[in-house]
Amino acid sequence: MTLSGTVPDGDCPSIRGTVPAGGCPYNRTAVSMADEVKLPRLGQGMESGTIVKWLKAEGDQVEKGEPLYELDTDKVTQEVEAEATGVLLKITVAEGEADVGTTIAVIGRQGEDVSALEGETAQAVAETAQEEGSPGAAREAERERGREATASEQVTEIRQPSGGNGAGARIKASPLARRIARERGIELGSLKGTGPEGRVVAEDVERAAAGAPAQPTVTRPAAPPGEVERIPLTSVRRTIARRLTEAWQAPAFQIAMSADMTRAQQLHAGLAEQAKEGEPKPTVTDILTKACAAALMRHRGVNALWAEDAIELHPNANVGIAVAIEAGLVVPVIHQAEGLTIAELAAARADIVTRARESKLRQEDLDGGTFTISNLGMFGVEQFVAVLNPPQAAILAVGAIEAKAVATESGFDSRPLMTLTLTCDHRALDGATAANFLRTVKAFLEEPGLML
Amino acid sequence: MPELSYREAVRDALSQAMREDEDVFIMGEDIAEMGGSMGVTQGMLDEFGPDRVRNTPISEMAIVGSGIGAAMQGMRPVVEVMYEDFLTISMEQIVNQAAKHRYMSGGQLKVPLTIRTQGGAGWSPGAQHAQQVEAWFVGVPGLKVVFASTPSDVRGLLWSAIYDDNPVVFFEHRRLYGLKEELAEQIEPIPIGRARVHREGEDVTVVATGRLVHEALAAAEEAEQQGVSVEVVDPRTLQPLDEDAIVGSVKKTNRCVVAHEAVTRMGFGAEIAAVVQHQAFDWLDAPVERVGAKFTPLPFAPVMEEYVVPHARDVLEAIQRTVQRDGS
Repeated sequence: MTLSGTVPDGDCPSIRGTVPAGGCPYNRTAVSMADEVKLPRLGQGMESGTIVKWLKAEGDQVEKGEPLYELDTDKVTQEVEAEATGVLLKITVAEGEADVGTTIAVIGRQGEDVSALEGETAQAVAETAQEEGSPGAAREAERERGREATASEQVTEIRQPSGGNGAGARIKASPLARRIARERGIELGSLKGTGPEGRVVAEDVERAAAGAPAQPTVTRPAAPPGEVERIPLTSVRRTIARRLTEAWQAPAFQIAMSADMTRAQQLHAGLAEQAKEGEPKPTVTDILTKACAAALMRHRGVNALWAEDAIELHPNANVGIAVAIEAGLVVPVIHQAEGLTIAELAAARADIVTRARESKLRQEDLDGGTFTISNLGMFGVEQFVAVLNPPQAAILAVGAIEAKAVATESGFDSRPLMTLTLTCDHRALDGATAANFLRTVKAFLEEPGLML
Repeated sequence: MPELSYREAVRDALSQAMREDEDVFIMGEDIAEMGGSMGVTQGMLDEFGPDRVRNTPISEMAIVGSGIGAAMQGMRPVVEVMYEDFLTISMEQIVNQAAKHRYMSGGQLKVPLTIRTQGGAGWSPGAQHAQQVEAWFVGVPGLKVVFASTPSDVRGLLWSAIYDDNPVVFFEHRRLYGLKEELAEQIEPIPIGRARVHREGEDVTVVATGRLVHEALAAAEEAEQQGVSVEVVDPRTLQPLDEDAIVGSVKKTNRCVVAHEAVTRMGFGAEIAAVVQHQAFDWLDAPVERVGAKFTPLPFAPVMEEYVVPHARDVLEAIQRTVQRDGS
């Protein structure tokens, strides 16, 4: 690429209209603008991460903000976005573990000599710009890179958390259809568009969303009868498998109680009615979160983390909510839940659940949990046993509210009962502590006024 | 409530303003004894006399220029340019004088001038007397631009235009003068910059101006028969534009058609389409469809003129394109 060919007359402030051989001096700084891609620190205590795969190949054009690679940490697998626009010149760590701060790739300009640039830092580049004696030089270089990006007429791929069929080819879809697909985690490439020229329109996505059970396999073509379908593990799935296997090794025990939800349901009805237009309506889950957070403050031993060499008792109830997403399961955290009202909890819960489904959770949403609630009541599950979410000492499994016959002084009465099953790490806490905690949760649910 | 035609509604706004306020007067070609080429000012000479209902020479530059002078001196003149095609002759006065004085004097001067004009095809007046040029003025900072489509709108908006301290180019449509509506005696001023939703719908928003509002309403009726629910929005004021109303409607329906009688290319609909795509990009389920006149001078032959300008069926076809499916 010759510089003089890409610089329109007049863009070079010092030499209006004439660009001498060698190009505008303003652009010379752009020649050495290579950005090293370094392994980021995504959360407190993160020392290293595992590169699962690169979403771009060497030589590909990348745009700032575009997903560049998938990174596995002990909490989450996420796509990491490019911080610079240019050509992915070199991938130095193709796969596997690397320490935070390691240079894992270089983004620069087409044809740039990477070997010479490796090791040169962005700071050095900034210094070069300073030497040129023009404060606008760096900005000009940015602009030049922008120009390059537009000039290359790059086809924008549709981002999908799970990658897949449609990647690489341009999929015709309306902006609305794209938004709905993004929100519901549906892969556009798997849909047949019914709009003009096969464009995927909102109706197509909605139809797919309505007809599809929430399983990652639905967007794949059905296997021919009789054949085994092999679903390659996504990195999320792999993380789930690894962490739950770890959890299974902890000596765990379970205790269960049923709570009479009559009063909680009345409270729920009242709160839902009072909820302001446009605000998320409180659910029974939010009341439960409130009850757990309040109970955790009274039973600090349950609000604990097993830290191998110690037991950490935490001052705040950071309550994780298990959320099923297309790719599997995530546990975003409502921080300091003990200080939130039920309406605030509802807003926080609506926010994290929505973002979880849109794959927009940030690392801080997943960090710092001290306790987890897993609710399968909406699926009609009466009771179940949850697997620990290490290093947390306890997790609460919540079943459906079901009308049950309950013995009363005068005979039998029908009451809405909900079964709570607490799984505990016996290394961190014992049965009596767990039982006292669960009894408090039950009391709070049966008489919400006690939470005050 | 008396029934007023669009023509009478314009006259009513002028007359009520002149009765109440000595600063308001009207000027234009043949507006006195003849009552204007479209009969809008008929009878006003008798009521208000020749000082306040002034015939002018055939010079649009002088009409607008003297209006600007009077406005800067504290009057609230309403000048009439007989056909909007002739605005070209007064362009210098409107664009470089009226629109600029307030800004260039640092706010020391105001130009509360209303420039009434009319145009539109449908009666075969030929290429120089039937154009729709409203879009030319929307891109001039310092001007307000109004295009009313019903008797109530034209009366309420003209009142607001007269009492606006900025120059307002006020477009009327030739074919709407006969349109009737029951109106209260008391004028309800309509704020400049507020759109009107003529009809609510779920599937497509048609943003239409002038005569095309009525064509869009007719098209919406037909679309309804076919199971497509159409919302019809008239911005009424082109500058300033009620973007919230338009964008809000499109976010609801996810589809948008823009419709006006002016040529499609660089028509006002282009601006609407730009606003919609930018502010409602993630809500659009189909490209914004544009309806306007074909790119040609207006033919004199009535059948050809009909062919060039858009009608309800053009709006209907555009509506159908936005909800179209392959194989349907």
